[in-house]
Amino acid sequence: MRGNSMAARERIGARRDESAFRAGRILAGAFILLIWLSASATGMLPGPLEVAEYLAGMRASELLPQVLKTLYNSVTGFSLSFLASMVLGLLSHRFSLIRGFSEALSEIFNSTSALVWSLVLVATLGVLSPLPPILVVAAVTLPHILTATVSALSSADPGLLEAVRAIGARPSDEFFEVILPSSVPLLASASRVGLGTALRISVVAEAFGSSGGVGYMIIRSYNLADASGVLAWSIVLIALVLGLDQLILKPLERRARRWLE
Amino acid sequence: MAGVILEVSSVYKTFSEPVLAGISLELRPGEVLGVVGPNGCGKTTLLRIMAGLEEPDGGSVRREGKVGIVFQEDRLLPWKTLWENIALGLKYRGIRGEELVRRVREYSRMVGLSDSDLSLHPRKASGGTRRKAALARALVLEPDILLLDEPFTGLDVRARSSLREALRWIWDEYGLSTVIVSHQLEELLPLADRVYVLTPKPARVSEEIDLGGMDLERRLERVKEALLHILSGAGVGRPPHRPQDGDKSHHDHPQYEG
Repeated sequence: MRGNSMAARERIGARRDESAFRAGRILAGAFILLIWLSASATGMLPGPLEVAEYLAGMRASELLPQVLKTLYNSVTGFSLSFLASMVLGLLSHRFSLIRGFSEALSEIFNSTSALVWSLVLVATLGVLSPLPPILVVAAVTLPHILTATVSALSSADPGLLEAVRAIGARPSDEFFEVILPSSVPLLASASRVGLGTALRISVVAEAFGSSGGVGYMIIRSYNLADASGVLAWSIVLIALVLGLDQLILKPLERRARRWLE
Repeated sequence: MAGVILEVSSVYKTFSEPVLAGISLELRPGEVLGVVGPNGCGKTTLLRIMAGLEEPDGGSVRREGKVGIVFQEDRLLPWKTLWENIALGLKYRGIRGEELVRRVREYSRMVGLSDSDLSLHPRKASGGTRRKAALARALVLEPDILLLDEPFTGLDVRARSSLREALRWIWDEYGLSTVIVSHQLEELLPLADRVYVLTPKPARVSEEIDLGGMDLERRLERVKEALLHILSGAGVGRPPHRPQDGDKSHHDHPQYEG
């Protein structure tokens, strides 16, 4: 009886925590809205209604190509950095020379701002080239993904490695049966963060070129002194980052970590 | 080596400090051998050396046949089901298809795993079920020598009893030569034919006790006495006190979870 009432109390406590947590999230939204309303009251920014009208007036034929362009830049850039990280991470696992090379590369790339990459790549490849946003995303996300890959690959439980060795595993079996699966949860978490970063970085690079994308639309609205356009395209970007994270990346991460739960 | 399936001769091992100091022991075919000693005396290191997972600094180990080992911590791959874990060693040996399915089924049933147990991931399985899966993973490779490291640790009474019954059935049926390292005397002694008692670190063999013909109470009494003897310091390098029949000692030592 006592056990049942304790469990019931714990369930009520957990429900209260959950409700408080949700209230906190709503409060954060209200807080941002309040700041926006205050700023718009001074006349510095257009108000939420004005921006909502702008968004409502956007045609799908105008919105969709820009969103797809940004998604393409982000996903392609991120895929490049993921592939490079996997190759360097796997080689680092076996060769000290590659480990040193990867570590130094990570440190240099990590210290270089997205702004510098954007300017250098646009100056080198030209404003009309579609490559700078992709390469900027790859360069900025590489150190994060590479560091995560190297540490994920070295995080395999030595006890599990010994256990499979004891039943006849070869080094390749150890890699594919233990090392790689052990690293999946860490890589999934790093990829979730990395793709979110990729989207945000992509718009910075797009702003410097003329090849389209949400970033290009933001800077174009800014150049036309269209404050509602700047905010509307910014909201599109936020919705894109949140939607991708909540609808695709978070479930994928949960799936990759399911054997841990 | 005649009549001996595993022979450990004067084995020495040092990590940051000496762990094993000239251990010799023998395992005979079909025998269940117990290795007991104070906590941290080097029993697991000795077992790992027997399995070939650790190289001794001195001395030698001779094995006649394949060795299977079951670790104390199960060490099942958490992303694979129990079935996949048990089948792993067979896949490494190129055994697939019907033969793989037959062997996994046979040895899983032998240790008392049901079909529904086999579809579980280790995290969803109970401690006893996981331990049985680890045992099946070793048995499925049909070893000639089985090494068990603290097989009963961390299991509740029911799981311990179930595992004990499974082991007893395997020995009765297959006569598998086995070494069990355990500090749980109540679980080990009903199963073992002989016991080696090790001294505290650096471990040496203090005494070899043949348990044949003794009932459980006498076995417990005899081994506890040997352990108390070495923990009092008297057993190190000297022949132990051999009590007369009826000379009962029921003291338990705080360092030893007998």
